[in-house]
Amino acid sequence: MSKFEQTSGYEIVSSWLNEHGRTPFTFQRQAWEKIHNGYSGMVVAPTGFGKTYSVFLGILINYMNRPDTYKKGLKLIWVTPLRSLAKDLARAMQEAIDQIGLDWVVEVRNGDTDVKIKQRQSKEMPDVLLLTPESWHLLLAQKGRDKFFENLKAVVIDEWHELLSSKRGVMVELATAYLKLKLPNLLVWGITATIGNLDEAMEVLIPYHVKKIKIVAKEKKLIDIVSVFPPEVEILPWAGHLGGKLVDEVVPIILNSKSTIVFTNTRSQSEYWYQILLDAYPDFAGQLALHHGSIDMQIRNWIEEALSEGKLRAVVSTSSLDLGVDFKPVDTVIQVGSSKGVARFMQRAGRSGHSPYEVSKIYFVPTHSLELIEVAALKEAVKTNLIEDREPLVLCYDVLVQFLVTIALGGGFRKEELFDVVQSAYSFQWITEEEWDWCISFITVGGKIGKNYEEFHKVVKNEERLYVVEKRRIAMLHRMNLGVIVSDAMVKVKFLGGGYIGMVEEYFITKLKQGDKFILAGRVLELIRIKEMTAYVRASQGKAITPSWLGGRLPLSSNLGGLLRKKLADSKNPTSREKELKFLHPLVASQVDKSHIPSENEFLVEKIKTREGYHLFMYPFEGRLVHEVMSSLMAYRISQLYPISFSMAMNDYGFELFSDKDIELSEEQLKHILRKEDLMKDVTASINAAEMAKRKFRDIAVIAGYVIQNRYGKQQNNKSLQASSGIIFQVLEEHEPNNLLLRQAYTEVFNQQLEEPRLVQAFERINSSKIIYKFAESFTPLSFPIKVDSLRQSLSSEDLGVRIQRMQEQSNRINRKRR
Amino acid sequence: MIIHEQEITWANQKLILTNKKAIYWKAQETLILSDLHLGKSAHFRRNGIPIPTQIHEKDLEVLEKLLLQYHVKKVVVVGDLIHANANGEVLDFKLFLERFSSVEFILIKGNHDRMSEKKVLDLGIKSVCSSLTLDNITFVHEPDKCAEYQISGHIHPGVTVRLPTNKHFRLPAFVVSENMLILPAFSQFTGLDTKKVLDNAVNYAITDTGIVVMR
Repeated sequence: MSKFEQTSGYEIVSSWLNEHGRTPFTFQRQAWEKIHNGYSGMVVAPTGFGKTYSVFLGILINYMNRPDTYKKGLKLIWVTPLRSLAKDLARAMQEAIDQIGLDWVVEVRNGDTDVKIKQRQSKEMPDVLLLTPESWHLLLAQKGRDKFFENLKAVVIDEWHELLSSKRGVMVELATAYLKLKLPNLLVWGITATIGNLDEAMEVLIPYHVKKIKIVAKEKKLIDIVSVFPPEVEILPWAGHLGGKLVDEVVPIILNSKSTIVFTNTRSQSEYWYQILLDAYPDFAGQLALHHGSIDMQIRNWIEEALSEGKLRAVVSTSSLDLGVDFKPVDTVIQVGSSKGVARFMQRAGRSGHSPYEVSKIYFVPTHSLELIEVAALKEAVKTNLIEDREPLVLCYDVLVQFLVTIALGGGFRKEELFDVVQSAYSFQWITEEEWDWCISFITVGGKIGKNYEEFHKVVKNEERLYVVEKRRIAMLHRMNLGVIVSDAMVKVKFLGGGYIGMVEEYFITKLKQGDKFILAGRVLELIRIKEMTAYVRASQGKAITPSWLGGRLPLSSNLGGLLRKKLADSKNPTSREKELKFLHPLVASQVDKSHIPSENEFLVEKIKTREGYHLFMYPFEGRLVHEVMSSLMAYRISQLYPISFSMAMNDYGFELFSDKDIELSEEQLKHILRKEDLMKDVTASINAAEMAKRKFRDIAVIAGYVIQNRYGKQQNNKSLQASSGIIFQVLEEHEPNNLLLRQAYTEVFNQQLEEPRLVQAFERINSSKIIYKFAESFTPLSFPIKVDSLRQSLSSEDLGVRIQRMQEQSNRINRKRR
Repeated sequence: MIIHEQEITWANQKLILTNKKAIYWKAQETLILSDLHLGKSAHFRRNGIPIPTQIHEKDLEVLEKLLLQYHVKKVVVVGDLIHANANGEVLDFKLFLERFSSVEFILIKGNHDRMSEKKVLDLGIKSVCSSLTLDNITFVHEPDKCAEYQISGHIHPGVTVRLPTNKHFRLPAFVVSENMLILPAFSQFTGLDTKKVLDNAVNYAITDTGIVVMR
């Protein structure tokens, strides 16, 4: 027995666990001991294995062993990405504390917390406080904040992988760095699920020169992946319509389970599945619910509670249920369509089978038969634990300037001292003194160094050389606008009689005319009128439009893309265990017959001539976003050879260039346009970077305080302060081209939109591959889904079905003729 | 700065549309413009939003250029002259008006013009009213369907131009129908509304190098 295990704290906690029939996992005991020894660190463990206890009980043990080192007031800050997690977590923590027999108080503080409770907390802090990154920063913006943290011992960031590669992660980095400077002995712990870059993840959270350790649980969550096969293989697959056919296979899965979550990728897809499930099995009425981001918060809360209590048979949802509290009764998960990434797939699978050694069962329902290849790929990824990296964001000046005002608001700062804080955060280790000066001038004089805007007094330097906010109105606007989550302008949807249904994006609803019908929350609604950001509707029936929400399309991860290429190559000779690949055999045979199945070291290009014109298809399997860039680049490079214009289409597997003129391209020329040389130069020439940067600037403008966000549900009295980020972007481009925030928008375009590193890698791979150039007279199984996707954008859904059928018939006819 | 022109006949009058977002009515020696939103950027700065000062200077520069180019006796601003309350930029405008004291500035009150009439007159504006009729044309701030010929502003009209490659951009525009004419916002620091506002209207879209007629 180690010395640590003889401490009274350890004995008390482990006997408490014993009373409840539990023994600590090795990783938990390790974490406790390291906390006892003054380490910071990161715990990596799958959901359901007591990650929370690994750190939380560690702090309790340390307190019991050294009670004299803990003083009155706030001792532990626990940060979670989701408000809904906090409530349950606080309850569990308080329960543990009470049963162990300590007198600590655990409380939550976030947007849902009552103002009175917040005021009481400000006077007297609880011992443990659960925060979100936003409420943490709001606390830092409070006058006298340093008093709150006087006796703070530890900060714990839960679900760190969720925050890591977002601007909310940068908020966490900055707040931690601030406290770490004030309290050098502060312990910092992260808790994360498995991701590809664990070491980096820890370095981002704890870049300080302190004792730190990464603790990885050996326990592994077992996942059972089951494909739902369509009755027969379609040779020409197209996204979307399989759902209707497979619903009959899905109903029995739900009936044979206690409780099921059906994950879809977009809100419109979830609305669609909710409908077809009800149509296929009307008895689901009342036992089936729909959960997505546009549905009223109260209804969503109700659904989540009903799911926890086992009152619902199934919930159709989007990523809105990816995270959050555990739903114990859920024993089955169904994934409709591609999950676009390994990590997301595993996370969703983990929503079923919660207790540590239970197996998580997930069914995969393809939306077109090619997606079955993805199942094969996912199975391999899960087996080899090949999970995506989460890249941290760096040099987010928008978050920084917001943070500076926050700190100025809560009692001020000295320029030199805060520079040390900022530089110590991972995200800003590369910030130069010049950039720092710009940020300070941005909040004091408005941006341009040396140019004084007389009326601008956001932050002022007082006589004590402290940077502070003096005006109440500015303080109020800043608090209201704090945070980095920027949402589209949303319109409330209400019945004339008053019932509230949910929200839709303003741009969608303003396109509708009075009397138009649309679907929301599983109901058909008829628009009556729009007044002051509220759409009044009445219940209706019949054909209706499903809103296509923006941002619903997640791109395929690079990991999954690579595995897909491998599995596609394997599909020529599948092993007997790969049922999915065997099932696809007719499709694969047709692709081989008409064109080619690329091996892993090959890159396939197809030129197809149809009645409409000439199509050039390429299959990099790099995801929609990268394909968007690649297709413009290809179009640009071909147009350098001779004048020609194209329309473009893409999905996650490949892209199409279409022209009514012949696309004349020799093998040499093809190699030439696929060259890796001058890559970024040509990319820059082929895209409209300014337009893309303008879109990126939308979020930046809100975060940096250029645009006052229209918060849903809050009274808005700032009409005269409304300006769109687009106008501000133009103004800055013209008058202040060196503005750091403007430059950040361009950097974000190159890093996130163009995914420069991934693009470079892709071209390197293509250049070292053998290029296979095939000609066909009709669409091949690989090209067909891309073509259909492009039609979808320009046609209404009724036309689409007819049109696709005709295309399939044409392709088949040509096939028969050839034989 | 070159002013590009497009002459139209409307309400039996010859009007010159300029790509500086103002109209010159020669017969009346009158310059017509809308939505100057003076002091908007200063108002933003006061509330902690750092908008560059040049944007306001540029607006006045353009106005000056128009006043020098044409023979102007009268300027009719069809509303939203001043964005919010008096500030440094609004005082700039007072100095500006002193230099053009021979020109009669008339303000048709817009929804943003909440400053007291006395203060507006103190700036050097000759008169403030809710509508005005010159010859056969009525000036109001918000477009309002009626039988007479009417010039208005308020909605900051614009058009979306789509290129064959699926790219698009937006331009400010004059919207001209049988009996209604809506001016684009004069100030650079304003948004655009590209929704269709009038049936059977012709849009005169504004670019740096001219005016594009879009039917």
